Amino acid sequence: MDAINVEGVAKRYGPVRAIEHASLRVPAGQVVAVLGPNGAGKSTLIGMMLGLVAPDAGQVELLGQTPAEAAARGLVGAMIQQGELVPNLTVREVVGFVRGLYPESMPLDEVLELAGLTDLARRRTGRLSGGQTQRVRFAMAVAGAPRILVLDEPTAALDVEARRAFWMAIRRYAEGGRTVLFATHHLEEADENADRVVVVSRGRIVADATPAEIKRRAGGRTVRFRLGDQPAVGLEGLPQVTAVEVGGGFVTLHTADPDTVVASLYSTGLTIRDLEITTPALEDAFISLTAGGPAC
Amino acid sequence: MLNYLRLELLQVLRDRYYLFFALALPVAFYLLWSSIFSSDRLDPVTGLPSSVDIMVSMASYGALGATLMSTGVRLAAERRSGWLRQLRVTPLTPTTVIVVKTLAAMSLGLPAVVLVGLASVLWQGVRLDPLQWVAITALLWVGTLPFAALGTLIGSLAGPDAAQPITLGAYFGLAVAGGMWVPLSVLPQVVRDVAAGLPSTRFAELGRAVAAGHAPPVSAGLVLAAWTVALGVLAVVAYRRAW
Repeated sequence: MDAINVEGVAKRYGPVRAIEHASLRVPAGQVVAVLGPNGAGKSTLIGMMLGLVAPDAGQVELLGQTPAEAAARGLVGAMIQQGELVPNLTVREVVGFVRGLYPESMPLDEVLELAGLTDLARRRTGRLSGGQTQRVRFAMAVAGAPRILVLDEPTAALDVEARRAFWMAIRRYAEGGRTVLFATHHLEEADENADRVVVVSRGRIVADATPAEIKRRAGGRTVRFRLGDQPAVGLEGLPQVTAVEVGGGFVTLHTADPDTVVASLYSTGLTIRDLEITTPALEDAFISLTAGGPAC
Repeated sequence: MLNYLRLELLQVLRDRYYLFFALALPVAFYLLWSSIFSSDRLDPVTGLPSSVDIMVSMASYGALGATLMSTGVRLAAERRSGWLRQLRVTPLTPTTVIVVKTLAAMSLGLPAVVLVGLASVLWQGVRLDPLQWVAITALLWVGTLPFAALGTLIGSLAGPDAAQPITLGAYFGLAVAGGMWVPLSVLPQVVRDVAAGLPSTRFAELGRAVAAGHAPPVSAGLVLAAWTVALGVLAVVAYRRAW
């Protein structure tokens, strides 16, 4: 039985088609990223998975049950977007309360430790920064040790350091064979933390593959280095290079496979300085992934 | 369920506005009014000495306010902030949420009843039979039910910005027409006639009857029950849509 089974769901808001006929099966134990730009329909899709949004068509099953049944049995934990905390309570009280609602929850101290809240346990919820609030909401999502964890843009308010700590916590959580599905609009986040990436664009699932495959399809990565006075002759003939740009003493090679390009660069006899490999901005990646889809 | 009740109570008991509006204000008003009106003066409508009459008024006023504010304003805020959505993805059911919120709202009126009663004993030397105290407290607990329903209705329909003034309006309107701020005898007959149908008037009447040594009138119970059913049905419908 799949942990998550979304079958042909669709949702419209007036004339806007938030999701058009999306299907997705997630086996237990997988970590799945739902990747897409803002407004792609990620939150609507997740809302339908959690039973917060009623689909116009299709259905969702979580471990063989409706989202409402699954929630009532404590099978699901979620971090939804825009979830402020109630005032006048301590972190420990809020997390402890949610934990107490689940039948097989984690020990409270373990939850606080996992979310990096041990030192903030006695702090009132109204006195937390945005990032700290986010961690409390994560703690609420995992406190009940749910078998399915759903996170809608969980790192939105976090800085780089906090992000890293956050993903370490998610990986620790997923190690126990739990299913994790998270939404993000950062390609790197999907790449580094998911076993599988589902790309959503304009209400449709346009790609569903491993992170490596998605990056390959997104293509258009670049290898850039300082060329100085050396000639750029022959660079366009290197394996996997799709285009060459020269300017300002730098050369930029476009490729879907930067590893191969870099390896072959050193055999050209050129002196390579200030080498950089860049992943394209997400918007560019989406343009290449959604090319051939319906026009904007 | 008990955990949730505890959480709901803690949130409000630590709220400065609650402490001010639902506790400090009724007690302060009691001290003020009971000092102005001589305690030998019997109220022409209720037949109670002012010190007792005002005690019941202010206890009712405090309970009414606590119940309305802790349902209407908070529910609207929790809908906006996403807290209710967050609860929806936990094993907590919508029925538990509304039952607990109602119980919490009713119980949050109790501190005002107790404190105003205490103030009347200490300040004005009001003496009632222990059973009368128990009965007044119990009736002013159960009697808040229609106000909890009204608050839930407001909180389910209005956004947080609108819920605040609507709740305050209902609160003051019901308090004034219910004879909680000024003695019923001071109000014009027309207002008193209309007020007889209001839940707040009947709510205070429960306490006044017991304080005067009578059983609470059946008519008061019926009016309150009717309001509870009517507002309760509307509140449940609105809440189910808002959940």
